[in-house]
Amino acid sequence: MKTSLTHIIKAWVPEKSKVIDFGCGDGSLLKDLIDQKNIRGYGVEIDHNKIQDCIDKGISVVEKDIDEGIQDFETCNFDVAIMASSIQCLKEPHLALRKMLNLSKQCIVTLPNLGFWKCRLDLVQGRMPVTPNLPSSWYETKNLHLCTIKDFETLCVEEGFVINEKLFLNDKGVKSAAASTFPNTFASEGVYLLAKK
Amino acid sequence: MKIKTELIKFDQGLDLESGERLDTFDLMVETYGQLNTDKDNGILICHAFSGNHHAAGKTADSAVLGWWDEIIGPGKAIDTDIFFVVCSNNLGGCSGSSGPLSTNPETGESYGKDFPSVSVTDWVNSQKLLTDHLGISKWHMVVGGSLGGMQALQWSISYPKKVKKAGIFATATKSSTQNIAMNEVGREAIRKDKNFMGGDYLKHSVKPKNGLKAARMLGHITYSSEEIMDQKFGRKFQDIKSKIEGTVDYEVENYLQYKGEKFSDTFDANSYILMTKAMDGYDASYSSNGSLENVMKKIQAKLLVVGFDSDWLYPPKRSKEIQLAAMNVDIECSCVILKGDQGHDSFLFASERFVNIIKGFLKSK
Repeated sequence: MKTSLTHIIKAWVPEKSKVIDFGCGDGSLLKDLIDQKNIRGYGVEIDHNKIQDCIDKGISVVEKDIDEGIQDFETCNFDVAIMASSIQCLKEPHLALRKMLNLSKQCIVTLPNLGFWKCRLDLVQGRMPVTPNLPSSWYETKNLHLCTIKDFETLCVEEGFVINEKLFLNDKGVKSAAASTFPNTFASEGVYLLAKK
Repeated sequence: MKIKTELIKFDQGLDLESGERLDTFDLMVETYGQLNTDKDNGILICHAFSGNHHAAGKTADSAVLGWWDEIIGPGKAIDTDIFFVVCSNNLGGCSGSSGPLSTNPETGESYGKDFPSVSVTDWVNSQKLLTDHLGISKWHMVVGGSLGGMQALQWSISYPKKVKKAGIFATATKSSTQNIAMNEVGREAIRKDKNFMGGDYLKHSVKPKNGLKAARMLGHITYSSEEIMDQKFGRKFQDIKSKIEGTVDYEVENYLQYKGEKFSDTFDANSYILMTKAMDGYDASYSSNGSLENVMKKIQAKLLVVGFDSDWLYPPKRSKEIQLAAMNVDIECSCVILKGDQGHDSFLFASERFVNIIKGFLKSK
């Protein structure tokens, strides 16, 4: 995960909170949060090598397909649920968000913006976008439900999700004036802190 | 690998969950490797239903490799070059620890059917006395599969300060209705053997071998799985020359006959009943009126829960229940479901992922 994104997520996670990271990868983010913010953290991951990395790091990890299992944790009372860069890979992103907010007070979601100008340019030229944030070709990508910043925020309104915080990054993975002012065009990635109404 | 087998006497006795008391008892114990000077490299192995203290290697007493030799040994998942590994035969067993075959000090004869009922918690309490005897104040890990996994879980609950990590494999927080049902069929086969004599067979110098054999044959079906039996035996006919029983047609029948026969030569029928009753009776949440969360709150150990996809005796969902209860009460706990080629018995084998996960868990902070 890019440094800037990690910094943002860390800043939004309260000290000593209980955190679940869906698609936690090798557990680095959780490890940082445990070391620096004294959280109780759990990861959910499906990739065997990444699960091994988590166990080697001493991170609590559960082997599970996020597409099927988010609701399994709804009794666990989390303070923060994180889903970094994977919401668009799920079969039903809107339901996944609802489920995440059922098991956690807040959730942090990051998503690639299909409205980013370089994506638009690719499309105008008649090609599927390939950017640092969307690096795979159309036939290899795991993304099923790409959206723009505008689309995502419309969904939040429709679903009644409150956006407590949001930040936008350019394609170098850092905050910029352009990305913050006109995110739908100049943000490569959006980072949201959501809560239920 | 340095192996030591020893019978240890406990004169302080043990109060059992049933309300009965053993005034003295023995545990047959085997150790592997060396306890370090800080005494913090101990790993306690808890055996499954028909296992015993002989977990690894070969000894003067046993030319057969220990039941978890794939996992325990120099350079293996539980590395005896690093850890001091301890395994004891459970109370009520028939491999040297006090059990139905031991002499009842009150009568001077074997206990037989009169050996008191023991529970998973009693086993843990007896192993706690062994822990004190060895001078170990905290186990680096307590670990086991199946009935052994129940003991590892109970250790973390009963003695939270004495367990750093717990490996809880192919097990559940309690036996399912189906587990109890299967065990009862086994016990019924034993009880209805004409040589069982109401459990007093030792007095008559006979053994209910047929009943034990039938019980074990059923057991082996539950330790395997439909798919594995198909792969291993299919519908292949047994070669006439190597038929164990004249009635055998298929290879699978011959296999079960062989396994059952071997088991009934060595295992004690009263132990069988005692051990399966302990398994049926286990419910981690019992002391807290059914609230697993309430008992698991006490745990300070880090847990590793492993289930196997082909296990239908303690299927993966039972492992996930342990993980979820742990997560509910903020206990550190990882849960993985591995591909197992051997059904319930998969935990006995050193598949690559299983080994790496145990090693990673042992090394991690």
